[in-house]
Amino acid sequence: MRNSIKAGIAAGAAMAILGPLGFFWQKSLIPGTYDMATMGYADFGGGTPTGHAHGSAGLDVATLTGPATGTPDVSVTLTVRLANGKYTVNGSSPGPEIRAAKGQLIQATLVNDNVPDGVTMHWHGMDVPNAEDGVAGVTQDAVKPGQSYVYRFVAQDAGTYWYHSHQVGHEQVRRGLFGPIVITDPAATPPDADQVVSVHTYDGRRTINGQAGPVRPANATPGRTLRLRVINTDAGPLRAWPSAGLKYRITAIDGRSVNQPPEISDKSVIVTAGGRIDFDFVVPADGRFRLDVGAGSAVGDGAASPEPKDTLDPLTYGVATSLGFDPAKANRKFDYRIGRRAGFLDGKPGLWWSINGHLFPDVPMFMVATGDIVTMTISNTSGEVHPMHLHGHHAVVLSRNGVKATGSPWWFDSLDVGDNETYVIAFVADNPGIWVDHCHNLQHAVDGLLAHLAYTGVTTPYRVGGDAGNSPE
Amino acid sequence: MRAVYRILAMIIAAGVVVQTAAIAFAMFDIEHKTDDGVFYTKDSDNGGIALHMILGERVIPVVALAFLIVAFFARIPGGVKWAAITFGVLILQIVLAYAGKAVPFIGVLHAINAFALATVASIAMRKARLAGAPAQPAAA
Repeated sequence: MRNSIKAGIAAGAAMAILGPLGFFWQKSLIPGTYDMATMGYADFGGGTPTGHAHGSAGLDVATLTGPATGTPDVSVTLTVRLANGKYTVNGSSPGPEIRAAKGQLIQATLVNDNVPDGVTMHWHGMDVPNAEDGVAGVTQDAVKPGQSYVYRFVAQDAGTYWYHSHQVGHEQVRRGLFGPIVITDPAATPPDADQVVSVHTYDGRRTINGQAGPVRPANATPGRTLRLRVINTDAGPLRAWPSAGLKYRITAIDGRSVNQPPEISDKSVIVTAGGRIDFDFVVPADGRFRLDVGAGSAVGDGAASPEPKDTLDPLTYGVATSLGFDPAKANRKFDYRIGRRAGFLDGKPGLWWSINGHLFPDVPMFMVATGDIVTMTISNTSGEVHPMHLHGHHAVVLSRNGVKATGSPWWFDSLDVGDNETYVIAFVADNPGIWVDHCHNLQHAVDGLLAHLAYTGVTTPYRVGGDAGNSPE
Repeated sequence: MRAVYRILAMIIAAGVVVQTAAIAFAMFDIEHKTDDGVFYTKDSDNGGIALHMILGERVIPVVALAFLIVAFFARIPGGVKWAAITFGVLILQIVLAYAGKAVPFIGVLHAINAFALATVASIAMRKARLAGAPAQPAAA
C-alpha cells in the first residue's frame, strides 16, 4: 500500500513536470504551411482596429506591383548559381552593380540556374511596391531552379542600396547571393569619382567588392571629390574610418541624404549590418588616402591608421530640418521589445529571441492603415546587438535612450540596436502591403526575431513552407 | 532504476568534462585560424562552440530532466534532492551562459559553476551507489 502511494506520488510529480513541458512543446509547433499574415496576434498600437487583415475581400499583395507597362530605362538579368557551396550572380559575388537615375523604371529578371532551395531578390532599403519586395512566402513564391521572375519598379529615391535573396537568406546571403544598387540624383552635382564599397566576409575573410586586398577607386586623383558608398552585407556591425587627419563628410545614411553634413575627421563610423553609409571627401594633394573597414580591409593605398577612439553619433550630426510629418500626431504607437527567454521554437527547446515577451510565431503583427503616423519604441535587453530592418519604409530616429535627436533627420532602414538600448522611431505608413520587420543578423531572423507590419485589409496568397518551400528568413 | 539514476548522473558529470574540452578546442581553433588570416565574426562557424551549444542547451538538459524524473521512482535516500539540486545548478549554468554574452565577466562564473555541476552530479552518483550497497544482500 505504501509502495503504491509512493509510486503514485512519483508518477504525479513526473506528470507535473512533463505535462506542461509537453503542452508548451506542442503549442510551439509551426505548421508546415502557414499564412504569415495570420500568425501571432494583431497589435493596433492604440489606434482604431479598423478593417481586418484576414478578410477574403482584402487587397491582394500580388496586385501591389510596380508599373506593369512601359519600357524599362534599366534592364538587367540576374542569374543565380550555386557551385561548391558558394552563390554567384551572373558569375560573380558580389553580383553586378546596378545603376539607375532617380525616377527611372528598373526591370530586373531573376533567373535561378541551379539553386535547389529556390531564390528571391529583395531590394534592401528601396521602398518598392510590396509585390516587388522579394520576400518568399509573403510577397512571392521562391523561384525554383530553371524558373525566372521579373521585378519592375521605379527608383524613387537616390542613394546606396543592395539586393540579396530573401529565401533561406541566412545561408544564401552569407555565401554570396547579393550585389550593390546605386540610384543617382540627376538634380544633384555628382562627385568626380563614385565607388561602391560592398563589404562582405566570406569564410572568415573580409573583402571589399569580392577582393581581399586594398581596393583602388578609379579616377580618384588629387583634388577631386570622391564618394565611397560603404555597404555592410555581413551579419554584425562594422566600423569604417578614413585615414588620420582626412576631412570627410557623411553625406547619406541608408540612402537618405544627411542635411548639411559638417566636415569631420578622426572618427570611426558604425555601419549597421545591412546598412549603408556614404563617405564624401576631396582626395588629398599627394593622392593618398585610405578608408579602413576593419580586419585590414581598406579602400585606397594611403598609410593605415589605427581606429579612432571617437565614434560618429548620427543623433547629433548635421542640421535639423523638417521631417515632412509630425511624429507628435502619431495615431499608432508600437513597442518592439527584444528580449530573450527560455521556451520552445517550433518544438526546439532553447533560449530564443522574444518580441514583447513572446516567441515566434506568437509575435505581434503591427497593424496600420495607409496614412497613419506611426511611432515605435525599439528596446533591446537580449544581451546582443540587433540590426533591425523594416521593409518598404524609411523611419526616422526621434531619440536614443531618452536623448532626443538634434542633428539632421536620421532616416534609416537598418538600425543598430545595441544591448540595453532603446530607440524611439517614427514613420508614415505610406506603402500598403505586408512588410517583414526583422533582425538583419539573418540567423537571428531564423531564430524567431521576425515580425511584420501589415496594412489593414491586405492579404497575401503566398504561404510560408508549402509546395514552393518558402522560407522567408 | 537505481542503475539508471547512477548512469544519468554519470553522463551529466562526464558532460561537463566534454563541454570543457569543446570550449578549449574552440579557443585553440580560433587562435590557430587567425594565423591563416581568418577572423571571427557574428557569422563565423566553430565546431567547438557548435558542439558546446548542442550539448549545453539540448542534450544535457534533456538528460538532467530524465534524471529528475527517474529520481522520483528510484527510491534513493536523498536521490530526489540531489537530482533537483543538479537540475537547478544546470539551469543556473545556462542562465550564466547567456548573461555572459552581455557581461563577459559573468562568463567566469559560468566556468566556475561548471565545476559545481560536476560535483553535485557526482554526489548524486555516490548516493545511488550507497543506496545500492546494503540493498544487495536484502534482495538475496
